[in-house]
Amino acid sequence: MLFKNTYNEFIKIVSKPRSYLGLGALTVLIGLIIFAMKADGESMVSFVTASFEQTLSFNGKLVNGNLIAFIILQMLVVHIPLLIALVTGDLISGEAAMGTIRMLASKPISRTQIVLSKFIAGAIYTLVITLWLGILSLLVSHLVFGSGDLMVLNSDGLVILPEADILWRFGLAFCVAYLSLLTVATLSICLSAFAENSIGPIVATMAIIIIFTIIGSLDVTVFDTIKPYLFTTHMASWRSFFEDPVPFDDIINSIVILLTHIVLLVGITLFKFNRKDITS
Amino acid sequence: MKKVQNHRKQYFLLFGFLFAAFGGGFAQEPEKVIDKINAKITSVKDYTVNAHIDADIPMIKIMPSNAKIYFKQKDKVKIESKGITILPKQGFTELNTFLSDKSKYSAVFGDSLKINGTDTRLINIIPNAASGEIVLAKIWVDQKNSVIMRSQVTTQTNGTVKTDFKYGSQLRYGLPSELKFEIDVKKFKMPKSVAADINKTSTDPKKAKEKKRTKGTITITLSDYKVNGGLSDAIFKDKKK
Repeated sequence: MLFKNTYNEFIKIVSKPRSYLGLGALTVLIGLIIFAMKADGESMVSFVTASFEQTLSFNGKLVNGNLIAFIILQMLVVHIPLLIALVTGDLISGEAAMGTIRMLASKPISRTQIVLSKFIAGAIYTLVITLWLGILSLLVSHLVFGSGDLMVLNSDGLVILPEADILWRFGLAFCVAYLSLLTVATLSICLSAFAENSIGPIVATMAIIIIFTIIGSLDVTVFDTIKPYLFTTHMASWRSFFEDPVPFDDIINSIVILLTHIVLLVGITLFKFNRKDITS
Repeated sequence: MKKVQNHRKQYFLLFGFLFAAFGGGFAQEPEKVIDKINAKITSVKDYTVNAHIDADIPMIKIMPSNAKIYFKQKDKVKIESKGITILPKQGFTELNTFLSDKSKYSAVFGDSLKINGTDTRLINIIPNAASGEIVLAKIWVDQKNSVIMRSQVTTQTNGTVKTDFKYGSQLRYGLPSELKFEIDVKKFKMPKSVAADINKTSTDPKKAKEKKRTKGTITITLSDYKVNGGLSDAIFKDKKK
């Protein structure tokens, strides 16, 4: 029954035009980034290396498919939560707004299973978006720019990773990025259980992400104790796969924090939905 | 007998005096030493060489890489590599080009120094013009083989670069088998706006210590020289443009 309901939920997602908004927006954005990098990628890279180039010269293909894929991932992981929340934030509240929630609850399926099937359908949609991001960013940028060593700039300096040592990093980075996006999807579904309209959970999800991101980036000691527990702090942990050596302990910690958020948010949603008054 | 001994003493004293007074004339002047170095350098019309580059630079992490270097007189250099390689901005041709024009500088002998078991003599190269890129150059020369064993070049824009040279099979051409550059990195500043991991604050003491390092080294091991094989100018044209 859970599987059938999940299938139904996914069909509902697929039949909504807004679900394609995310895929369309991703395609356009990635196209734009690739076009911009093709036109002026060298000068963008030289902006990064300018400080070093007074003393050193960088030889080889700096602008390549791996760098473009990394830039795309870095740029879009910040914006994709909105595209995800646009669909998942509507999963429960949309039913409440349209009045179909009563019909749904009258089916021979527990409320817990209803919620779980919505979570699974939301997770599948999130996976589709992440895969689309991966396919477009990696395949298209490799087709346009070719392969090469990856130069990554982080707060500790430049890391240059050999071409042969990159693909597995992208694979695992996409997995962790998916977990981050799944946390956002879970948050929006959770907020959706509290709302009666679609806009509220979507806006609230983005507001929470913005507030948490600002708290995380503020260098104020008063927030130091809560920063490690904010899911937004760990949303960029996919980047850690591009450090050398890879800080696996930090990544595992981030995965644990993100999974804890997911479990907690699913728990809260189940608690709320099982007690939700759907008769009025 | 005593008279003969006195004469001998006088001859020795006279010889010693003459050697002290005119002996300097037999020693080489710094310009002549540089001439010999230049003669070796100009005997190489072109070369290709395989390079293994190992960089240890604060704030940059890069695995050792391989490249092929093409050189053609007077200052054409091309570096071909499959991946990304980092090399010092100066150090391959600038010093040799500068030394080849004697009107641009004055040379003064300095102290002697043993470098890797080889006796060397310091020559200070002082540019005549104040506006040139090179502010001061010091070269430690193996006078026996007429090769530079160490150089320390201070430029207007790139700070000071110290280079240690090791020689192998191409000693007769004055081409090194290993170059070790020591570069000044205190000017490196990370553009925070593009670092992107704004949520991340490094607390690792190792990384903090790494950031405080002001010197970096780049070691280039050169092998399989092909000297005076006749390189076409087309090789040095940038394909991208």
